[in-house]
Amino acid sequence: MRVGFAGMTHLGVNSAAAALARGFEVVGYDADRNAIAGLRRGEPNIVEPGLPEVLQKHAARASFTADIADLSRCDLVYIASDVPTDDLGASDLAGIRQLIEGVSAKLGQGAVLVVLCQVPPGFTRALALPRERLFYQVETLVFGHAVERAMHPERIILGCADPAAVRPKALEQFLSAFACPILPMRYESAELAKIAINCCLVSSVSVANTLAELCESLGAAWPEIVPALKLDKRIGQHAYLAPGLGIAGGNLERDLATVCRLADERGTDAGVVRAWMANSRYRRDWALNELHGAVLSKLEDPVIAVLGLAYKQDTHSTKNSPSLALLAHLAPFRVRVFDPVVPASAAAHPRCHASTSELDACEGADALAIMTPWTQFGALDPVRIAKTMRGKLALDPYAVLKASACRAAGLEYRTLGGT
Amino acid sequence: MITHLNSAPTKPERVALLGARGFIGAALRKQLDVRKIPYLALTSSDVDLSASSAPDKLATLIKPSDSVVMLAALTPDKGRDVATMMKNFAMMQNTCAAAGKISCAHFVYFSSDAVYSAADALVTEETPPSPQDLYGAMHHTRELMARSLPKVPVLVLRPTLIYGLDDTHNSYGPNRFRRAAQKDGRITLFGGGEETRDHIHVDDVAALTLRCLLRRSTGTLNAATGVSHSFHEVAEVVAKQFKTAVEIVKTPRAHPATHRHYDISAAIKAFPDTRFTGIEQGVASVHREMLGKS
Repeated sequence: MRVGFAGMTHLGVNSAAAALARGFEVVGYDADRNAIAGLRRGEPNIVEPGLPEVLQKHAARASFTADIADLSRCDLVYIASDVPTDDLGASDLAGIRQLIEGVSAKLGQGAVLVVLCQVPPGFTRALALPRERLFYQVETLVFGHAVERAMHPERIILGCADPAAVRPKALEQFLSAFACPILPMRYESAELAKIAINCCLVSSVSVANTLAELCESLGAAWPEIVPALKLDKRIGQHAYLAPGLGIAGGNLERDLATVCRLADERGTDAGVVRAWMANSRYRRDWALNELHGAVLSKLEDPVIAVLGLAYKQDTHSTKNSPSLALLAHLAPFRVRVFDPVVPASAAAHPRCHASTSELDACEGADALAIMTPWTQFGALDPVRIAKTMRGKLALDPYAVLKASACRAAGLEYRTLGGT
Repeated sequence: MITHLNSAPTKPERVALLGARGFIGAALRKQLDVRKIPYLALTSSDVDLSASSAPDKLATLIKPSDSVVMLAALTPDKGRDVATMMKNFAMMQNTCAAAGKISCAHFVYFSSDAVYSAADALVTEETPPSPQDLYGAMHHTRELMARSLPKVPVLVLRPTLIYGLDDTHNSYGPNRFRRAAQKDGRITLFGGGEETRDHIHVDDVAALTLRCLLRRSTGTLNAATGVSHSFHEVAEVVAKQFKTAVEIVKTPRAHPATHRHYDISAAIKAFPDTRFTGIEQGVASVHREMLGKS
C-alpha cells in the first residue's frame, strides 16, 4: 500500500517518516524543490532527533517529489502541511485550501484523503469532497519528540462524516499498523478534540507558572511540590507541570485564539482561556525583569550572555521564542549569543556577538540567561562559567544547571519556581 | 505599552506645561532646566482652563511644535463631588480644543492609577480601567478625551502614589507619615498598615516623563517602580529617618486590606536602562531635603 503526504513541513516529514517506519511505501510531495532535493539526499530541512536516521533506513520505500501528480499513485493521501499563524495566533488557511484543491484533483479513484493539519472546527465538513473518502485526523506531534510520537501515538483521533460507518480499507490498514486505540468521532468533535488537548496542556502549565511564581516569593520550591502532584492519579505522571516562559511554538497559541474566537462568536465563556494567555504574556518577561532589576538598571553598558534561541530544545523553530523576545528588548546592550542549531542572526540584534560555544558566550558577561533548555547546556561546568563571566548573575528558568553547584561556584542563581 | 515616534532621544522644540506650579510640574521644570529644554510654564493665573475663553487664549500661547504636558487637575483634596468632576472635564475640554486647533507635536496627559479597580492587585497597562469613584472616572474620561485628539500623538501616563518634599496633597503614605512624625512623633496607620502600594519618587516620575518627551512616546504607561511595600514598612522607613523615636500606631481596621503591585515590563521594554529610586533611598533623600529647608 502506498501512502502520500502533501506538504513536507515539520508535520509532513515526521508523519511520512513514521509511515515508512511502519512498513508502508511513501510518497512525499512538496512544491518546494529545495526541500524535496534535501529529502532525496536524506537531509530534511528541519531538526528532529532520529529523523535523518529513519529516513535513511527506509529510503528504498520513500519517494519525494515536487510533482503533485505523483500522489495519484497513492491509496491514501494525508494533507500534512503546517498551517501558518500570525502574531495573534490566527491561522492562515489559504495555503491548505489550495493544497487540498490541488491534491483532490489528482487523487486516484477510491483513494482516501485525510486532513492532518491543524484546522478550526467546521473546516473539514465544509470541504466539497466525497464524505465517505474524507477524514480528519488529529496530529499530536511535539517539537523535539515528533518522530517518536508519530510512530507511537497513544491513540488515533479520527474525524468522520459518520463515525459509525465502515472505514475505507486503505485507511483501516494504515491506521491499524500503529497498534493503538482508534477513536472515531464526527469531524467537528475531532477538530475540537485537538484544541481540547492543547487547552488541557496550557491549563497545567498555567497552574505551574502561577504557583511557581508564588513559590519564588514564599521561599517554597516548586520542584518539591511537583512529585506530590504527579503521584495524584487525577493529575498523573506525565502532566505538564514544568513552569516556563510563556507559551511558544505557535500551535498552542493558535488553539487558544481559536477558542476565544469561537466563544465570542457563539456567546460562550472563554475568560479562563484569556487568563492563560495573559499569564503566558506575563511570564515571558521573567528574564527581562530579573535582568533589569539586577543588571540593566545598575551597570553602565552591561554585557548579557544568552544561551539558546530556539523556542525549545531539539528544534530549530523560533516561533514565539522567549529568547528572541528577550533579545528584542535588549537592543541597547551588548549581547553574546549561542545556540547549537539556530544561528545568532535569528536574533537580529544590533550589538550581538555570535558566539562559537557556550563559554565563548559567557566571556566577560555581566549576566547569563539560559533561554532554551538544550540538553548540552546541562553539561556546562558552573565553575568555568563563573570564571569566564565578569558578573555573577545566572538566570536558568528551566533549571538546566544544578542550583547547588552554581551557588557553590559563586554564581547568583535564579530559576523559575525557586530551588 | 508605548511606541516611540522618535527612534533616538530628540529634544522637543518646547514643552508647554499646563499646571506647571504643581508638585509634578515643579519636578519636571527642574529636569527640563538641567537638559536646557525650553518650556512654557502655564499656571491657573495665566489661563483659567475651566473658563469658556480658555481655548482661544491657550491657542495663542501654544505652538504647533510644542509638546504639551497636561498636569492640571483638581485633585480629591479640592473636592470629590460631581461639580469638581465637571470642572475637571471643562478644563480638559478646553485644553483639547486648543491642542486640537493648534495640532501640537505631542500631547502627554497625566492620569492616575485611580482608573484601575481597587480589586486589581497586580496591574499592567493592559489591565482594563474600572474606576470606582468620580476622581478615577474623571481621569479615565479625560484619557479618552485626549485620545480623541485628531492627528496629535498622545501619551497617557498613569502614576502610582507619588512622594516628594513639595507634595501638597498630604495623602496617606510617605508624605503624611513624614509630616506626622515630625509634628507629633507619631505615625497613625489604618489598621496595621498591611496594604501594599507602589510609591514612586516625584523625580523618577519627572525623569520618566522627560524620557517620553525625548522619544515622543505614544500609548499608555504606568509610572511605577515595580516594587510595592506595606504602609507599615513605609512608616518604619520614615520613622528611621528621625533621631528621636517615632511611634507607629495601629488602629482598628475599618475596611479589608487591598493591595496594588505593578508589572513594569512595559516601562522596562520602553526604556531598558531606566532606574527607579528605592523607597529607603527616596524617603531618606526627602528627609535630607526637609532638614536642609528647615
